[in-house]
Amino acid sequence: MSEVFNGYERQYCDLSANLSKKCSSAIALHGEQKKQKLSEIRSGLDNAEALIRKMDVEARSLPPSVKTTLLVKLREFKSDLNNFKSELKTITTSANLNAAAAARDDLLEAGLADTKTASADQRARLMMSTDRLGRTTDRIKDSRRMMIETEELGVSVLQDLHSQRQSLLRTGDTLSGVDDNVGKSKKILTGMTRRMNRNKWTIGAIITALVAAIFLILYFKLTK
Amino acid sequence: MGDHAVRAEEFEKKAEKKLNGWGIFGSKHEDAADLFEKAANSYKLAKSWDLAGKAYLKVADCHLKSDSKHDAANAYAEAAKCYKKVDTNEAASCLERAVNIFCEIGRLNMAARYYKEIAEYYEADQKLEQAIDYFEKAAEFFQNEEVTTSANQCNLKVAQYASQLEQYEKAIKIYEDIARHSLGNNLLKYGVKGHLLNAGLCHLCKADVVSITNALEKYQDLDPTFTGTRECKLLSDLASAIDEEDIAKFTDVVKEFDSMTPLDSWKTTMLLRVKEKLKAKELEEDDLT
Repeated sequence: MSEVFNGYERQYCDLSANLSKKCSSAIALHGEQKKQKLSEIRSGLDNAEALIRKMDVEARSLPPSVKTTLLVKLREFKSDLNNFKSELKTITTSANLNAAAAARDDLLEAGLADTKTASADQRARLMMSTDRLGRTTDRIKDSRRMMIETEELGVSVLQDLHSQRQSLLRTGDTLSGVDDNVGKSKKILTGMTRRMNRNKWTIGAIITALVAAIFLILYFKLTK
Repeated sequence: MGDHAVRAEEFEKKAEKKLNGWGIFGSKHEDAADLFEKAANSYKLAKSWDLAGKAYLKVADCHLKSDSKHDAANAYAEAAKCYKKVDTNEAASCLERAVNIFCEIGRLNMAARYYKEIAEYYEADQKLEQAIDYFEKAAEFFQNEEVTTSANQCNLKVAQYASQLEQYEKAIKIYEDIARHSLGNNLLKYGVKGHLLNAGLCHLCKADVVSITNALEKYQDLDPTFTGTRECKLLSDLASAIDEEDIAKFTDVVKEFDSMTPLDSWKTTMLLRVKEKLKAKELEEDDLT
């Protein structure tokens, strides 16, 4: 039974390929030829619809296991057909518009030459913009490199700052130690000067006492 | 110039006389040291570094005898500075003596600084193992004195030379430590990706593909911003290139990175090593097939 369905399927595939070819060629055409092509497409679509209806009947008559797969395929074909129909509609509408544009073109005789110079123009412009883009990329790369260098410099500056911070802290500590020591030595020196003065006075006192003793002895000796 | 040399010789003779003669109140060493120092100065002016260095050594001896270790150590340092212009080995030995004295008097800071200088002398002479040795000692001392920046600098040098001598494990460990430490510091955290890149390069040189992927994951965990950096991209691209053993891709990736930031000589050496290993592996496989 599915032999028949496969045959219908093959027919439909051929037909759809044909239709799509006709659609694309119809877009490029103008005027009378277009109308011809459009009518051809419309007849093709009708054939396709008939095929699908036949395939539907076939599929439903088959056992359920095969039925589901075939029905899925059928749904795909139906959606394809709908696509073709909508394409046809757009072409017909654009055909009406294109007729006016085609007449205008014929009047102004713009012709093929213009397109050639236009494309050369476009080519030159594209080359310039590519060039500019390339130069911009180079400049960006350069600036990125410079930024990375600056970052490295910044890192080394930070490291220097860190070590300087440490040495400053240490210097502060050492200086407060020095401060303490200087205070201590000041105390010691004042103690020494005091002792020195004391000794001076005691020696002075002893000397005067001895001299006085000597005078007293001499005095007593002489007056005896 | 000749004038200075003559004056210097005079000073030296006077100082020797003082030493050999009897001093009053036992101050002869200090006087001698003074005279030797004047002599050394004049030699320096006369640009005869050798004699200047010797004079400074004598100064140091006198100071040692008169028990002023600090002055002695300083004198050794000066001697080393003079010898630097002539003979680096002599300079290194002078500095070592200076460092020992500084250690004795407890000025570890100065000791560490002079260790670093010694290491730099060896570095300039391209004696890398000894340089590494001294940099390590310097880093240790700096760490003890909590001078983390200098410690980090020395450690970085150690890692650099260790990796040049193919001690990759040590280098990797140092780089990771420094990276971890820098993360905690607002000022240093922008340098972390540089360190992680270096660590990653060492992993690549070890030619162990599993470890590099693990390491990359670990680094991304460590520093969330690392993933977006070009360094991470470079490392992962290199890892995949090595995996696929595709030399063209490797060269492309390196060239791209180089166009953005020029690679310094250390990185170039490392990458060249990796490329050589890759080429060797490819040739090996060709031989087998």
